[in-house]
Amino acid sequence: MIRPLTPRRLLLTCAGLGGILLLVVFFSLKFGTRSISVTDLAVFLFRTATGRGDTAASDFRLIILDIRWPRILLAMIVGAALSVAGASFQALLRNPLADPYVLGVSSGAGLGSILTLIWAAEMPAATPFGAFAGAVLATSAVYLLGQRGGDLDSYALLLGGIITASFLSALIMFLMTTISGRELRGMAFWLMGDLSTPSPVPAGWLVLVLVLGSGAIYTTAADLNLLLSGEQEAMHLGVDVGRVKIVVYLGASVLTGLAVSVSGAVGYVGLMVPHLVRLLFGSDYRLLLPATALGGAIVVVLADTLARTVVAPTQLPVGAMTALVGAPVFIYLLRRRIA
Amino acid sequence: MMRRKKVPVPPALRWLAVVAVAAALPAFSQAGSPATMPAEPAARPQPVEYRDELGRRVVLRGTPQRIVSLAPSITETLFALNLRERVAGVTNYCDYPAEALTRPRVGGPINPDLEQIVSLHPDLVVATRSLNRQETVTALERLGVAVYTTDPRTVEEVVASTRRLGKLLGADARGEELAATLEERLADLAHRLAGHAPRRVFFVVWTDPIISTGPHTFLADALRHAGAESVVTTDQDWPHINIEEVLRQNPEYLVFSGTHPEDPQTLIAGLRKRAGWSSLEAVRAGHFAIVSDALSRPAPRIVDAIEDLARQLHPDLFPPPPTPAATPPSSRGGTR
Repeated sequence: MIRPLTPRRLLLTCAGLGGILLLVVFFSLKFGTRSISVTDLAVFLFRTATGRGDTAASDFRLIILDIRWPRILLAMIVGAALSVAGASFQALLRNPLADPYVLGVSSGAGLGSILTLIWAAEMPAATPFGAFAGAVLATSAVYLLGQRGGDLDSYALLLGGIITASFLSALIMFLMTTISGRELRGMAFWLMGDLSTPSPVPAGWLVLVLVLGSGAIYTTAADLNLLLSGEQEAMHLGVDVGRVKIVVYLGASVLTGLAVSVSGAVGYVGLMVPHLVRLLFGSDYRLLLPATALGGAIVVVLADTLARTVVAPTQLPVGAMTALVGAPVFIYLLRRRIA
Repeated sequence: MMRRKKVPVPPALRWLAVVAVAAALPAFSQAGSPATMPAEPAARPQPVEYRDELGRRVVLRGTPQRIVSLAPSITETLFALNLRERVAGVTNYCDYPAEALTRPRVGGPINPDLEQIVSLHPDLVVATRSLNRQETVTALERLGVAVYTTDPRTVEEVVASTRRLGKLLGADARGEELAATLEERLADLAHRLAGHAPRRVFFVVWTDPIISTGPHTFLADALRHAGAESVVTTDQDWPHINIEEVLRQNPEYLVFSGTHPEDPQTLIAGLRKRAGWSSLEAVRAGHFAIVSDALSRPAPRIVDAIEDLARQLHPDLFPPPPTPAATPPSSRGGTR
């Protein structure tokens, strides 16, 4: 897998993954409580795309465009954001086990959301900012805990992350049991990762934040490749390590805050997807980052489609699905590679 | 910038941006705006604006004919208002009356399946604040579905809420009759219990861990109406309680509620053998009161459960219990 990266390979890989994503989105639009045939859906989409969609039955339109599509869009945003954040943390901390969930960043974002729900319940748009602040604070705490002798120690870092995650989860549990706000009712569900309620922020803004965050991280892609071999080495090769760290750290925190604020804590995606992409396409961050964004979108759309159809009309939390589906696939690929 | 060979960054960025923008375009255009419904046929009745119990606007065209209920208590209330043929959908937990089990299910109250609700073509969805989420209500309204939310917090408000729902749904007479009967029964009970000290009870929501009810729930209010007073004083609605605290408070009665009477029975048999519980005076004296789960549902049937509990806690204030052959007083509510 040590083929050099060419623009051609980059484009082909991304186009391939993009094609798979489109296919997955199409089938996700098809499946649901109400059965819709492939031809009906294709005709409907074609007519809508060409501006002749008004002939369809109104609830058909409602279900596809107003129920399924916004949820799929949200799943894509969350999947891409978590995966890119995971890949970034793995490079930044030089630890393959780093991911927003393991490092406690998701718990930090969750705590931030809950605090804004308690103190600023009447301002729905405050939640994403709370989630973001929580994500940044948790990342800072873990980063400080992982310092040893002026350098990042991966054991200290991982332990610091696990401790931060459980401490913040304990705070969340404390708030949830002591505060009787009825608004916190759905919180238990939300903490497991849930896409069933629409985001209070228009999806366009979420996409904008996703593009800005991932774009900022992508500008450091070549430097991340060098950083993976060690800070000293990267510095000798002319990488502005301090600047790269700040950009990646802020960008990944923004992406995690974004994902957690709309979906709660969806685990495994940030850990699993970058590894899958690495196994399939190698670890050059210039390819890894876009491929990971697309792969994350594919995985979460698939997981959420299963979550809302397996035991319909009862809805499962998408976080349970990402772990259920993701973990075995991950283990299979890992073992096949070792063999 | 020279881009001949080894600078793959710009095309990738551009590609990412194209995909992202393409995905976002429809989102920008539809964000926030409610789903547009097709043009109205001329014969449809004029829209009338109502306020629900949270003060939210609910616009109805004519009397709702297809109603989806998002809570067991709402389902019970709709059936009690004799609107059974208009109940188009219920939640997975709506088990009373038995006929409710034959209606299409829309999932759980906290996380119902919006697609299923829309597919049932309801002209009104009725939610309740104590069980449903605000997000669900907002999502349904965004889809153009009218949602009316009830919010009873006391037994009196359960009655008032029933009357209001009757008016909204064009069952004014039935709602008035039902509410008047419930009020009369509650007044009767209050008269009977007047001047008698309330029993100090511990309401057992759950035993592992021990969960009881705080003083601000309608369950606590139902206990007060039944001549009972919870020994639990905390600001939390569903507090976890230490067995030590239960022993210290030494309640006169333990109160259980359940769908099947045998469930609390096996529970009690187990508690008699457990350290802590077995030393409670109420357990040793066999002072258990077991009522139906209607006590925890803010629906008309709650008055049946309140009367039943009052009878068990204050047996001397009531005439001897009727024989099974006679009509039990609980059937007066008309919910069966």
